[in-house]
Amino acid sequence: MPTPHHAGRAPGLPDGGWGWVVVFGAFVSIGFAYAFPKGVAIFFKEIQDFFGTSYSEIAWVSSIMLATTYGAGPISSILVNRYGSRPVVIFGGLLCGIGMVSAAFCTSILQLYICVGFITGFGLALNLQPSVIIIGKYFLKRRPIANGLAMAGSPVMLCTLAPLNQFLFDNFGWRGSFLILGAILLHCCVAGALFRPIRAATASVKTQSIEEGKGALKEEVTEDAMEMSSPTNVPMEGKMEEEGGKDCCEKINQYLDFSLFKHRGFLIYLIGNVLMFLGFFAPIVFLAPYAKHIGIDEYSAAFLLSILAIVDMIARPTTGIIANSKWVRPRIQYFFSFSIAFNGACHLLCPLASGYTGLVIYSIFFGLAFGMVCAMLFETLMDLVGAARFTSAVGLVTIAECCTILLGPPIGGTLIDTFGDYKYMFIKCGAVMVLAGTFLFIMNYYNYRMLAKEEKERKAKEDDPKSVRTENEGRNNWNKETAQNGPELEPLREEQEIQKKEVNGTNEV
Amino acid sequence: MPAAFSGKRPAPLLRLLLLLCLSLPGGTPADPTMTTQDASQFQANSLTKMRAGLNESSSEPVTTARTVNWKTSGSSSDHLTLEHSVSTPGPDLATQVFKQASKENVSNLTFVEYEVLLPGVSGTSVEKNITLDSATRIELSCRLDNKYSHLKSFQVTWKRGNETIRHINKTENSWGIQLRILDNSKLGSYSCTLKGEEEISAVFHLQVPKIEGKEKNIVSYEGDTAVLVCKSSGYTPIAWTWYMINGSEQIAINDSLMADKYVINRIPTNVTHLKIVKLTKEDDGAYWCEAAFELGKSKGKLKLKILSLMVPLKPFLAIVAEVVILVTIIFLYEIYSKKKEKHAEEEKEFDQVEQLKSEESNGLENSSARHRKI
Repeated sequence: MPTPHHAGRAPGLPDGGWGWVVVFGAFVSIGFAYAFPKGVAIFFKEIQDFFGTSYSEIAWVSSIMLATTYGAGPISSILVNRYGSRPVVIFGGLLCGIGMVSAAFCTSILQLYICVGFITGFGLALNLQPSVIIIGKYFLKRRPIANGLAMAGSPVMLCTLAPLNQFLFDNFGWRGSFLILGAILLHCCVAGALFRPIRAATASVKTQSIEEGKGALKEEVTEDAMEMSSPTNVPMEGKMEEEGGKDCCEKINQYLDFSLFKHRGFLIYLIGNVLMFLGFFAPIVFLAPYAKHIGIDEYSAAFLLSILAIVDMIARPTTGIIANSKWVRPRIQYFFSFSIAFNGACHLLCPLASGYTGLVIYSIFFGLAFGMVCAMLFETLMDLVGAARFTSAVGLVTIAECCTILLGPPIGGTLIDTFGDYKYMFIKCGAVMVLAGTFLFIMNYYNYRMLAKEEKERKAKEDDPKSVRTENEGRNNWNKETAQNGPELEPLREEQEIQKKEVNGTNEV
Repeated sequence: MPAAFSGKRPAPLLRLLLLLCLSLPGGTPADPTMTTQDASQFQANSLTKMRAGLNESSSEPVTTARTVNWKTSGSSSDHLTLEHSVSTPGPDLATQVFKQASKENVSNLTFVEYEVLLPGVSGTSVEKNITLDSATRIELSCRLDNKYSHLKSFQVTWKRGNETIRHINKTENSWGIQLRILDNSKLGSYSCTLKGEEEISAVFHLQVPKIEGKEKNIVSYEGDTAVLVCKSSGYTPIAWTWYMINGSEQIAINDSLMADKYVINRIPTNVTHLKIVKLTKEDDGAYWCEAAFELGKSKGKLKLKILSLMVPLKPFLAIVAEVVILVTIIFLYEIYSKKKEKHAEEEKEFDQVEQLKSEESNGLENSSARHRKI
C-alpha cells in the first residue's frame, strides 16, 4: 500500500473508470480459462465411443489442458513482462480458437491431446495470467473487490458453458461443437482488446528507479523499482544480447524474477498453496459420484454441483467486498488462511452428512468456502509481493501448483478404490487443507510481525536528518531528469512546475 | 431386512449345485452394484446366495435361492436395492464356485425365488419387474405381513391374464407358484390377488433384458464415421443383429457383405458397436440393434442424423464476424478517446500556462508594489 509520500509524487492508480471495463474483460478471460476444461467433459462419452478408447484415456485430455494452463504460467509471465497484457491475451485467444477448430477435424485421440490439450491449454494459460496481472495494474485501493469480481467469472462461465455445450452437442455432434466452441473462445480476444495498457504505473516506477539511483530510502519501493526497471531495460538487453552472448541465468532473471524465491512472503504463500491444492479440487470431482454412491439419482447429484456453482458465484464478489473493508484489508492473509481452514473443516464434516439434505448443506458450505478461497487466491499474492513483481510471482506459483493440482484427484481416486469408501478421500482433503490453513496463519503472523519491525526500522532511518538532505537532492535531480522524459510524464511535469513555483516563491518572499 | 435363507429341499427331480458368491466390499466408486455375467452360467446349474449376511460356504446340497425381499409400503424409500453378484471366477473378484456332484437328470436350469410383501392397504397394487435371460425355474410368492394377519377369511388367486394357476401355500401367510420358463411364451405378467374385505394384489412382470439404445439423435457428418453402441444391461445375449429402418421396412445389416461400409464389433459380448464409414445422407435414419436371448428377443433404438459440413460453419462464421466487429469497435473507441484526451490535455496545459503567466505578472506587480512601498 502506498504511503502518503507516494501519493504526492506519482499519480495514483485509476481504481475505477476504465478499470471496471478491464475487470469485465478479466471476468470473461478467467472464466474461460477455468471453466472450459470442465465444460468440455460433456463430450467425452461420445468421443470415447467414437475412438473406442477407455474413459481414462479420454480424461487425459482434460488433465493435459489443465496441466498446460497452469504449467505454461512462467512463459505467460515472461511474455507479459516483455509485451504487456494486451497482445498476450489476444494471441492467447487466437491460439485457443485455432486449437479447438483443428480439434474438430481430428482423426485420432493423440491429435485430440495435442489440439485440445496442448494448444488450447496454452492459449488459456496466455489468457489467465495476464488477466490477473492487469487487475493489479489498474487497482490498488479497490483491488480485492476487482479480484473478487474477476474471479467470479469462473462459476458464471461454467454455468453458461455446461448447458451451452449440451445444446451444441445435441445439435451439431462433437465435431461441430468443437468448431463453434473455437469461435466462442475467440471472445477472449475481445476481452484482451479491452486491456488498455496503463502507463501511469510505468511512469511512477521509472521515476522511482531514478530516485533509487540517487540513493532514496523507501525499501519496499526500491525493491519494486529494481525489479521493474529490468523489464524496461529488456529492449536494450535484447540488443546487447545480439552483440555479445549473455549468461543464460542472468537473461532469464531479467524476464522472470527468480529472486522472488528469497522473498519471505512469497515462499510462505508458495508452500501454503502448494499444500492446499492437494485437497482443493478432488471433492468437486468426486461429489457427484459420491452422491450416486449413497443412492441419490443422477439429476439430483448434478443439481448439487449447480448449487455449488451458484453459491460460489455469489461468494466471490462478496468476499472481495469483505476483504476490501478497512478491518480485513490489513489482515487479509489471516482471512485467507481462515477460509482455507474453513474449507478443510467442511470436507472433514462431509462424511457425517447423511442423505440428500445433508449433502445439500455440505454443497452450500463448500461453495461458500471455495468461492472465498478462489476470490482471494491472487489478491493475497499481490498483497505479499506487490503489483510490480506480481507478474513473475504468478507464473512461478502456477507452475508449482500445477503438480499438486494434477495429483490431487488421482490420489483421491486411489484412496476411494483402495478403501472402497469415500470418507477417506474427504478426510484426506480436509486434513490437508486444515494443515495448509494453519500453516499459512502461523507463518503470516510471523511475516506481519517481521514486516512491522522492518517498517519501524525504515521509519527510524527516515527521521535521520542526513537522509533528508539526500532526499531533497534526489528530488531536484529527479525533477531535471523527468523533464527530459516523454509525454507519458506530462501529469508529473506540471506537478513539478507547481513545486518549482513553490520553491521560487519561498525564495522570493 | 433379513436375507431369507431358505433351507427348503427342492423336489427330488431337480438338480442342485452350490455356487457361493463372495464379493469384495466396495469396488469402483462409480459402480457399487456389481453385476458381472457369466456367459456359461446358463450352462451350469447355479444357485446364488444373497451377499448381505451370508458369506459362508456350505458343503451340503442345499437349495440356497436368490431371494429378494421387496418391502413395499407405498413409499419407494423402503425399497431394498438389489445388490447381488452373479460372478465367475475372475481375477478381479474373489468368487468361489463350488460344483457339487450332480444327480442323473441334469436339467440345466437356474432357480430363482422372488417374494413380495403385500401392503395392507387395499387398492394399491405392487409391481415387480423380473428380468430373465435364460431358461429358469422360478418361484413367485406373495406374503402378507404379520401385522396384517388379523385379516382372515380371504381368497388367494394367482393369475396370468385370465388363466388361473394353481398355487401352493408356503406358510400360513404366504402363497406361491412355481413356473418353468423355457421359452418366450411363458413370459408375461403374473398376479396374486387377495380377496377378502379388501382386495390386495401384486403383479410380477417377467421380461427379457432391456437393451439400451440412445434416445437422442447421434449427429454425424458426411464423409465421417459414426459409431452406434448398444448395451445389454448385465446379460449376455446369444446373438446381436443390426437393422436399418428404411421407410417402413427393416433391413438387416450384413457386415461381411458390405465390409467396407459397416463394421460390427461384438466383443465384449454384452456390448455391440456398429461402425458406419463414409457416411452419406442415405445413412440418415433409425437403426435397431436386436439381442437374441434364450427366452426371446429385445430391441434397442438409435437415430442417426447426418449433417453437411455447412451446417456448423454458418454459426461459426457468424460468431467470428461478431468477434472481429467487437474488437474493431473497441480499438476505434480507444483511438477516439485518446485523441479526445490529448485535446483536453493540450487545452488544460494552455490554460495552465496562461494562469502561470498571469500569476507571474501579478507577482511581479506585487513585488514591485512592495518595493515601491518599501
